[in-house]
Amino acid sequence: MTPGVRLAALGIVFSALFVILGLRLWTLQLTDVDGFRDQAARQQIDIDQTPAPRGDIVDRNGVVLAGTRPSLTLIVDRQLVTVEEERVLTQSLSAFLGVPSQDLLDRFEEEGSASRFDLKHDLTEDEAVFLVEHRNEFPGVIVESVPVRTYPLGDVAAQVVGYIGLPTADDLQREGVQAVDRIGRNGVELEYDDQLRGVPGTIKYQVDAKRHVIGLLGEEAPIPGSTIQLTLDSDLQSFVERSLSEGLVLARADSPSGRDCVPSPEDPTCPVRAVAVVQNVKDGSVLAMASVPGYDPAIFVDGLSEDEWAALSSGSVLTNFAIQGRYAPASTFKSVAYVMALEETVFPRNLSLTSEDAVAYHTDGEDDYECDGRLEFFNREGSPQFYTDWKPEGHGPIDIHDALHQSCDLYFWELALHVWQQSGTRGDSFDEDMLQQWAREFGFGSSSGIDLPNEFRGLIGDREWFTAQQNAATGRVRAEGPWSGGDLLNMVIGQGEVAVTPLQLANAYSAMLNGGTVWRPRVVDAVIDANGDVIQEIFPEALNSVDLDPRTVAALRADMRLVVNSGAGTARTAFVEFGDNLNSVGGKTGTAEIIKSSDPDKVVDTAWFVGATPMDDPEYVVTVVIERGGSGGRIAAPVARQILQYLVNGPDAVTPLAPGAASD
Amino acid sequence: MATYARSAPVPLAARREEALRPDIFLIVPMLVLMGLGVVMVYSASAPRLEAQGIDPAFELKRQILFVVLGVIVFLAASMVGPRMLHQLAPIAYVGTLLLLVAVEFVGAIRNRSQRWLDLGVFQLQPSELAKIAVILGLAALLAQAVDKLSWLFVIRAVVLVGIPATMVFLQPDLGTMLVFGFLGLIMLYAAGASWRQIAALTLITVFATAALFQFEVIQNYQLERITAFLDPEADAAAAGYNVLQSRIAIGAGGMFGTGLFEGTQTNLTFVPEQSTDFIFTAVGEQLGFIGGALVLVLFAVIVWRLLMTAALAQEPFQRLVAVGVAAVIVFHVFVNVGMTLQIMPVTGLPLPFVSHGGTAMIAMAAGLGITHGIYMRRSPLPGQGSPRSD
Repeated sequence: MTPGVRLAALGIVFSALFVILGLRLWTLQLTDVDGFRDQAARQQIDIDQTPAPRGDIVDRNGVVLAGTRPSLTLIVDRQLVTVEEERVLTQSLSAFLGVPSQDLLDRFEEEGSASRFDLKHDLTEDEAVFLVEHRNEFPGVIVESVPVRTYPLGDVAAQVVGYIGLPTADDLQREGVQAVDRIGRNGVELEYDDQLRGVPGTIKYQVDAKRHVIGLLGEEAPIPGSTIQLTLDSDLQSFVERSLSEGLVLARADSPSGRDCVPSPEDPTCPVRAVAVVQNVKDGSVLAMASVPGYDPAIFVDGLSEDEWAALSSGSVLTNFAIQGRYAPASTFKSVAYVMALEETVFPRNLSLTSEDAVAYHTDGEDDYECDGRLEFFNREGSPQFYTDWKPEGHGPIDIHDALHQSCDLYFWELALHVWQQSGTRGDSFDEDMLQQWAREFGFGSSSGIDLPNEFRGLIGDREWFTAQQNAATGRVRAEGPWSGGDLLNMVIGQGEVAVTPLQLANAYSAMLNGGTVWRPRVVDAVIDANGDVIQEIFPEALNSVDLDPRTVAALRADMRLVVNSGAGTARTAFVEFGDNLNSVGGKTGTAEIIKSSDPDKVVDTAWFVGATPMDDPEYVVTVVIERGGSGGRIAAPVARQILQYLVNGPDAVTPLAPGAASD
Repeated sequence: MATYARSAPVPLAARREEALRPDIFLIVPMLVLMGLGVVMVYSASAPRLEAQGIDPAFELKRQILFVVLGVIVFLAASMVGPRMLHQLAPIAYVGTLLLLVAVEFVGAIRNRSQRWLDLGVFQLQPSELAKIAVILGLAALLAQAVDKLSWLFVIRAVVLVGIPATMVFLQPDLGTMLVFGFLGLIMLYAAGASWRQIAALTLITVFATAALFQFEVIQNYQLERITAFLDPEADAAAAGYNVLQSRIAIGAGGMFGTGLFEGTQTNLTFVPEQSTDFIFTAVGEQLGFIGGALVLVLFAVIVWRLLMTAALAQEPFQRLVAVGVAAVIVFHVFVNVGMTLQIMPVTGLPLPFVSHGGTAMIAMAAGLGITHGIYMRRSPLPGQGSPRSD
């Protein structure tokens, strides 16, 4: 073999190697350029999110209840620090913040290894400059202006406004929730979270292989959340809360526990809480909704410690008792029986019936029923039962109108007995659940549909419910015996198997006073975007229309007026100081027995008052509850009186609180 | 020994004058590759150096210096006559062996390998020089027995190559060891080794490699690096990282590339050893298929000129030297470029004239210079007489 042949062979082999490289280069570079470029681009881009300012929550006049302000914030981005650097970081942060470094390590642990979180808000400018100038001692620390929630009016309307918190893992599953967001945890902050939240902005960085930022690729500004305009009037709201606080002081001074008592399991007679709702009768909107004591939602902005949380939850101050409280409505419930009686021609047993109208609307001008303070009746087993009125000496001869404004228990017991004993005998429509049916028509026993979370639906008991409870052995009802006439007698005066929220009561009174329209109560009027354009208007929504005789409505308005200004009215003394336009207000008292006792120092009652104004054509309903407050006429009525004074005669016409005469 | 039909003897003075004309087909591709290397080294190193707070032109300046040195060495080597070269061969071989021994004892360690001699301003890598020295030594040995190679000669050749190969393997420098093996086989073949001898050597190589694995002489990390190219995604963060990132970079280049200094991969330090072993990745990404193919064509032209030189060489020694240099360059290009294209394992061989590095540049320039000297003193092509003879 000659060298030439061997060299030629080598030439062929070497050429083949170059051809292989060339072909491989060709297939690699020209078959999937887009795929490779995409792959390259993805690992070279880092996306940071910038939080969107949360929308404001404002009252009907634009007063800010929850707002946002920029705050110089110390942010820690653990993606930017190595483990060794983190040790340096926690030490220098410990010195900078004056916090033990162990606390910081715990916090780092809690937030997770690749987390980015706000460590301290509201840095002073000097602090911010210091951090930036000493960048090397604070690896992974970013100083940025971050939108932070503020509540300029503090605890005003706190339970309605609600509060915010960091999103949980579950929250992050929800569409549109980002880790940088704060999300609503209660109240309007929760209910309207999607509208309030906005869309976080993004910053796209170009990064190198070590994730060092090399340049800015693009920036998308965050879209601020929408503003929620409430139906609340913050001035009225503040006033109501102040009045409730004073009412609570009044109730404590009047209670066996004394003025300086602190509610606790050891002191069950100390008044614990005051709740009020002011509602527009004509469209269901809520002007004020308060539960005292309250809290300042700002404490949630930086997160709570466990101790702080425990302190808050033990006092139940976070709970909006206006929609979450479970109360026996007591005599305020008599108005439902009153409307039923007029509409269905239900009357006491021993009344001689001349005509339906004569009984119902008292057209013959005579008092019909002798209320002697003691009711005797025989149950189905034939044994006698006795019931005694809250006023044991009785109210004398009365008709249904007197029965309402004097709050005669006997008269309403008679109505319940009538329903109980006549059920099934006056046609199919006349059954033993007639009272419950009327109650449900006005919205009791089901959620009102208000635009707030965690509403209690209330309870209107009946035979079916009672049996179900017995069978399920829930312990909420007695174990032996069926639903009885006695249960209905309890219910007609708002005791026993009936529970309502202050809002339900206000809403039902609104319906009874406006001619029968049950509105869906609401606290939000409109959603307004960042440009100031109204993007959603919340219109009044009628949930039910109860067919009421106009004379029934007129009679109720007149009789509620008598509660506050007739000689025998249960709230007369509380309204003596009302001033001008006493004729334009009306109401109904209630006193719910919580603990019965022959020892007056151990009795616990819930004090109620439902007021309305103006009585010719009511616009506002006011509900006041003072838990463990005692007599409604004595304790709740004066607070409601102040609120009505404010509504009718203005803030300057409000007179100081003084207990009224004890009454039902 | 005379294989070619010679024309009438030409007067010596005239021949020298005519033959010493430089070979632009060798010189121009070499200079283009060197120039491209300077540009690409800058593109591939500046962002990283800047990030480290070093003068971004640091490697550029050094590379320019290496190129200048390389050109000087090339010219000097061209001047050395083939006969003197033949006499120098044993000295070069033994001298390099001594340098390799020195590395064993006083060498600097970088990247877990002991390959460098620290000369203060310059770190000399004797294994690079050894490539040329082994070519010279082996050529001198085989020239004694061209076309009548006995088994004894083959064994002597194996020993001659095996000593430095073992020493670089111990550094450890697997890539250079394979260079020795490849050039040994190619030169034996060119020297007329029989098919049986070639087959036997190949078998021995395979068994020896298997033994190295069997007795775990090859370190785990080397094995991982070698096998990572088969499935780089399996260990994308560690062993497979280079390969994967390199493939992404070249794939993203397309026909015309992302533009010089515009490589997102290669300018953002995603590819490690960017300016040295993986310099072809920067070419592929920034200059695209056009740039990559140009580099391959330039090398092909150089190899063609080397084989041409071998064909025209006056003596077997010269022919074998030219073949050896061609083999070294082909092997480097194929393994280095193949590594960036994920068809060869990562072995750490530089791309001649382009990769950042001083000793390799000088060694390759010397190899090319020697061959160029041989070319300039070649036999005239058949039928191509001296101008004077016409």
